[in-house]
Amino acid sequence: MQESREIFWNVGSGAVPVMYLLSLAAAGAMVLGFRRLVGVWRQGRPLDRFDRRRERFTRFISESLTQRKVLRVPDGGVFHSGLFWGFSAMFAGTLLVMLQADILAPLFHVNLLTGLFYRLFSLVLDLAGITAILALGGLFVRRFVIRPDGLETTREDGLVHALLFSILLTGFLIEGSRMAVTEVRDNHGLAFWSPVGLLAAGLFASMDDATVRSLHRGLWWLHLLLGLGFVVMIPLTKLRHLFTTSGNSFLAPLEGQGDVATIDLEDERIERFGAANAAELTWKDLFDADACTACKRCQERCPAWATGKPLSPMKVVRQIGLAAAQSPSGSIVDDVTRDALWACTTCGACQEICPADIEHVVKIIGMRRSLTLMEGEFAGDEVRKATTAIEVSGNPFGVAPASRGSWAVGLPVSVMAEERNVDILYFAGCYASFDPRNRKVAESFVRICAAAGIRVGILGAEERCCGEPTRRMGNEYLYQAKARENIAAFRKYGVTRIVTACPHCFTMLGREYRDLGLEVPVEHHSTFIAALVERNLLKLAPEPFGCTWHDSCYLGRHNGIYSEPRGLLKAAGGALSEMAPHGPDSFCCGAGGGRILAEERTGRRISAERVKMARQTGAGTLVSACPFCLSMFEDGLAADGPVAGMKAQDLAEIVAARIRG
Amino acid sequence: MKILVCVKQVPDMEGRFNPNAAGTWFDEAGLAFRMNDYDEFAVEEAVRLKERLGGEAEVTVLSVGPDRVIETIRKAMAMGCDRGVHVRDEGAAERDPWQIASMIAGYARSRAYGLVFTGMQSLDRGSAQVGVLVAELLGLSCATTAVGFSCDGGTATVERELEGGAKAVVRLKLPALVTCQLGLNNPRYPTLPNILKAKRRELVILTPDELGIEAPLVATAGFSRHERSGACTVLEGELDGLAARVIDLLDERTAVLRRGGGR
Repeated sequence: MQESREIFWNVGSGAVPVMYLLSLAAAGAMVLGFRRLVGVWRQGRPLDRFDRRRERFTRFISESLTQRKVLRVPDGGVFHSGLFWGFSAMFAGTLLVMLQADILAPLFHVNLLTGLFYRLFSLVLDLAGITAILALGGLFVRRFVIRPDGLETTREDGLVHALLFSILLTGFLIEGSRMAVTEVRDNHGLAFWSPVGLLAAGLFASMDDATVRSLHRGLWWLHLLLGLGFVVMIPLTKLRHLFTTSGNSFLAPLEGQGDVATIDLEDERIERFGAANAAELTWKDLFDADACTACKRCQERCPAWATGKPLSPMKVVRQIGLAAAQSPSGSIVDDVTRDALWACTTCGACQEICPADIEHVVKIIGMRRSLTLMEGEFAGDEVRKATTAIEVSGNPFGVAPASRGSWAVGLPVSVMAEERNVDILYFAGCYASFDPRNRKVAESFVRICAAAGIRVGILGAEERCCGEPTRRMGNEYLYQAKARENIAAFRKYGVTRIVTACPHCFTMLGREYRDLGLEVPVEHHSTFIAALVERNLLKLAPEPFGCTWHDSCYLGRHNGIYSEPRGLLKAAGGALSEMAPHGPDSFCCGAGGGRILAEERTGRRISAERVKMARQTGAGTLVSACPFCLSMFEDGLAADGPVAGMKAQDLAEIVAARIRG
Repeated sequence: MKILVCVKQVPDMEGRFNPNAAGTWFDEAGLAFRMNDYDEFAVEEAVRLKERLGGEAEVTVLSVGPDRVIETIRKAMAMGCDRGVHVRDEGAAERDPWQIASMIAGYARSRAYGLVFTGMQSLDRGSAQVGVLVAELLGLSCATTAVGFSCDGGTATVERELEGGAKAVVRLKLPALVTCQLGLNNPRYPTLPNILKAKRRELVILTPDELGIEAPLVATAGFSRHERSGACTVLEGELDGLAARVIDLLDERTAVLRRGGGR
């Protein structure tokens, strides 16, 4: 018995040149479609995303083939992956048939598609096809029947669904009709290797040969045209994500998320700052808009959106796409609206979950830069006041800079101006320096260092705001001015190691000051203290307590520090109950992105939302390691009134209270 | 029209003011400096007037003081002033208003300014004399405490704030000098292109002698800082204990509880 099939059975070899001509035309139409898109992307500013190609290519392969990011959310993700793998297998199968029919057979007289390999080939493709149909059905029910909140459905979605479904359906009907007059009759053993095709063949069982053959021929041409229609449709519809979303796993930044470009303020040729319109964003920002599939995962996790504010990261990306295509020089800031732009906490939850590797935050900061640097606008009068205070006094409170080191009077801390022979420079930051609640954190940190025999120095009056809130609000100029003052002070005292208890200072000094020339290693107090315990320099007397750990955005998502603080809590005797969103999915306290300077005027309070999540764990203590988070939680807990049962503490306070000896 | 704005750099009022060695003024160590608030209104009004008048108007900003005041002059230029004049004077902080006014008048006398804007007073010395003295020395008409300003041909109309929130409208012939009060306008925050342009704008440096500084008429004999008597008390601790302590404090220091006859 022959264990193979005749390629182009019943269609005739005359169909082959026509098929290839049509395919060429379809491919040409697709290329033209993408050329138009490339033209749209190229309106943006330059940005190098083609360096370190090996690393990028590896990520591209692993992320797109495994569907890792898509699968992070099972709702929609599982079906999408089924459709992706099913379609990929069938695409590979079609390529193999082409290879066989037009290269191997005529040139080498070899037939791969025979014997056991052919049987497996038939089975795998049949299963791939049915997987794709079932997955597509699942997606259909989700989108058109269940209609999840926030999922926007347009006519385009209906069209894509119909197209995909008819391609899959006609594929099985072709197989079934062919099998009905071949395998089913004369090679039943082989037919069982195509179970879905066998099922489809049943539909044709009662028809006569000639009818089946003409039906088969018709279906074959229909299937071909549908397939080529799909190819043409790729650049014109959301289907473009086949290239753009997977392409983004190549183009996405290799550094941690959230890094914003440092503007060269010495370059006199630059006359416009930030992005007032689509053309002032980078080409990658415009590309991102075409990589977005509107899956609304970002929107669901955005703390601003979740508390009734007018910001949806998904809508921002789509508005950019629309502007880039229709009015690249129109005001994108007006489209997105100022209120939406100022509402962002730059927490990065959107970016973390995005299956398309879209960078939402840099776009928002780009637009904020335009508002701040080109228009002199602020999120509110209170932000203007705080910004001026940072400019004049080096802190957002407007307290006299001379008193910045006062918190350390009487503590075992030396001011660098007087004694620079220290083990670490503790960069206290504005909150630990002036906010009474956070001064306690600084005191705890100093006590820990003293117990571990670490000599601590501070800049005192010479320390300035690290510039983070103002940079995130878009004021690059003021940020660089303050950063340079800090860097000058570090250099003046030959500082070699910096520790800070603030994740925002940590991100600035440790990462963003690099562009301005600071190379000194910078640690966050959570990892620094964890290392002291690890190396037995600090001995703890554990004391049991129940707690929940809040992953601050700039500690977790932005810097990947998740395990050290949890380890420390356990070492201190803590029984940890996790909040529902934690780790990389953590929910912001509301104070990032410079929002610490701003009043929260619209919607519910983000901090209240997070405190509610913390209360649901039933833990007695809400622990964090960020002065902004601590301030927000103290407010959030106080707003609940005299409800007993939960207090907010910094990790350093927990540890300091359990020092042995 | 040529417009002149006079600005002063003053210490941020959050700082600690200790007497200097001579005891005649405060010690500048540890203080942060900024543009006098009222002078920001003056700069803003001058720039707005220039923008209304269009091409033919030009604004010069002048400040007297040590080199640190250049920062304030640059800020005024970043807000829109065209040219800067720095009267380099290390001793400016201790000069009396008459001396400062004599230098400004010395600069302005031959330059035919149609309008001069100054702040109503400075946050540190607060004499509220310099603007008025300059007007007198130059023979300009003068209106103080402006909270509204408009200018039509050769006449300026100024809304003045009176005690208790009342307002008066005065008209004065140009050339004129106006001192600016809170409420006149909302000063702009300089944009980055303007900050960068301001760095490249012309800044003239002059000395007090070149401008004919006069001898002081008033000498400051002493300075003492404000001793806070009724400073606020911050209570910290557990809620239950706090309430009791508030009652104790009210009882001890006030008559609101009317126990034991109070005061």
